[in-house]
Amino acid sequence: MTMAFIPYTLIFLVAGAMIVLLSGILEERYRKTRAKEVLSIVFVAMALGGTVLLYRDVTSDPHSILLFLIGGEKPPLAGCFEIDLLSVFMVFSIVSLGLFAVIYSFSYMQHDTRLGEYYSLLLMMMAGMVGVALAGDFLTFFVFWELMCLSSYVLVAFRKERWGPIEAGFKYFVMSSLGSVLILFGMSLLYGLAGNVNFAYMSKYISWSSAGIWAYLAFIFLFIGFGVKAAIVPLHTWLPDAHPEAPSPISAMLSGIVIETGLYGLVRIFFVVFMPNAAFLPNGSDMFRYVFAGFSLLTMTLGNILALFQKDIKRLLAYSSIGQMGYMLVGVASGTSYGLLGMFLHVFNHSMMKGLAFLASGALVERAETRDLDEMKGLGRYMPLTTLALAISVLGLGGVPATSGFVSKFILFGSALAPGVNLWWLALAGVLNSALSIAYYLRIVQRLITKPIKDFSRVREAPASMLVPIVAMAILIIVFGIYPLPVLQFADSASKALIEGLQNYISKIIIL
Amino acid sequence: MVPIQIYLTIIFSLLFIGLYCIAFKRNMIRILFGIEIILNAANLSFIAFSARLSGKVDLLAQSVVVISIVIGGSVIAVGLSMVLNAYRQFKTLDVRELRRLRW
Repeated sequence: MTMAFIPYTLIFLVAGAMIVLLSGILEERYRKTRAKEVLSIVFVAMALGGTVLLYRDVTSDPHSILLFLIGGEKPPLAGCFEIDLLSVFMVFSIVSLGLFAVIYSFSYMQHDTRLGEYYSLLLMMMAGMVGVALAGDFLTFFVFWELMCLSSYVLVAFRKERWGPIEAGFKYFVMSSLGSVLILFGMSLLYGLAGNVNFAYMSKYISWSSAGIWAYLAFIFLFIGFGVKAAIVPLHTWLPDAHPEAPSPISAMLSGIVIETGLYGLVRIFFVVFMPNAAFLPNGSDMFRYVFAGFSLLTMTLGNILALFQKDIKRLLAYSSIGQMGYMLVGVASGTSYGLLGMFLHVFNHSMMKGLAFLASGALVERAETRDLDEMKGLGRYMPLTTLALAISVLGLGGVPATSGFVSKFILFGSALAPGVNLWWLALAGVLNSALSIAYYLRIVQRLITKPIKDFSRVREAPASMLVPIVAMAILIIVFGIYPLPVLQFADSASKALIEGLQNYISKIIIL
Repeated sequence: MVPIQIYLTIIFSLLFIGLYCIAFKRNMIRILFGIEIILNAANLSFIAFSARLSGKVDLLAQSVVVISIVIGGSVIAVGLSMVLNAYRQFKTLDVRELRRLRW
């Protein structure tokens, strides 16, 4: 199906961001109400509804591909949104985590000023990620990529009256915008090889036999660029500073879905542009697989080992995100649609688990007024629901059965053992790393429920609007751990759209 | 017509100048310069390839460059506002003073 329009989800998010900003300005001038919070919840909920419409339209198409032409112009001379089930899957993960983060912000952020800007930027960041997931050519991709990046820089440094966010924000800004310009540079090299910026044209017209060293150079630049955003070791150094210093809902968004969007960009471009042509190289696809496997091993090991030494609860969770990113790379390294099924399932599950971990720890940190785990000893006794939810999320991150984390990790490590993939050492390292990671995940729970050293008797449970997303996400983790079939099937068709459905993806554009 | 090799030489020297700037300069504003220089290397690369490929100039790459210049402007605006906040906080533009978090 082809439409001369902008995808529904994107319209709601962008329009919502502008209306919320306007409402924030009006409220500051006239009368203080909670209109901007309510409006942003409504718009994100509408965006979730728009995602359902997108899913319906994509599945009703015979090739499961939906093409939105901006202004009715046809590619390759115009930008377009090319939507397959993989894009819809990513959009679904983004918007559902975003909804929880917005609801949580309702009372978490209530003592801050400039809330109109905050909600507007949060919606803009979601709009940027949605645009990245839907883009069908590099021009659209880059515009939305920068929208996402710019909003996230400002949101990290949102509490600008303290030194921590400013310093972390500047560091994040320098590293991440260097990554963005390197992506642009790599894309210009790919443009030089293909003569077009549309992904489908690039896939068809780049031939490795004539491209030679330039294709490798483009790959290196793109890998560094996306790797910075996806926090692949050794490009991760911004993450343990930026994620703890951001407000907790933003930490949840950053760790839960923004770094995964970086990984999505890498995977999309790698499997559409590089992988189909790499088959013509002698051992080409094997070489790429070993590169990804090496980075995966490095990322998961270093992330987990560094997390062991952290005392700051949010910093610990940030390092654990690096470790989880390593697990996701296992799926890319396997290069099969089964491995990518595990990867995208883990993207969704990780967005729920790490989002919940940051939201719950944000509630605890707000009550304890410190981020130091040793000073939070015993706090969990006075906030039982939050602590229970945090325990569920960290057990899920560690991969304990009956949580959704177990299902996706099982598929990921299984894909590395599949015949023809032959990465048994990676699966072994993954399992050992999971065992290692349980050590620090359980330490969080142990510190929270041990005997208090400080007097927390006046501490009350978190307010209702913070408890609602926390409890809902905890229930989702358990439900998808026991009955993973719906999301598993969705992720399965999404990963098949990327590998087996690649010809559909290309021919939809080129026939036009 | 200028051969593509000359363009490529300029593009890659711009890239390395920018990387040098980001890696070794201590002034925050100079680090922003480095980012902008690499952005311009990428823009120049688009323009150079757009003229080479089909004999006539490819308008697609030109529109990519126009949009990327606009985006680059907004990136630098955000960066400068961060530098301003950092200056208010630390009273210096030296990145070595921002060492309370580990780089």
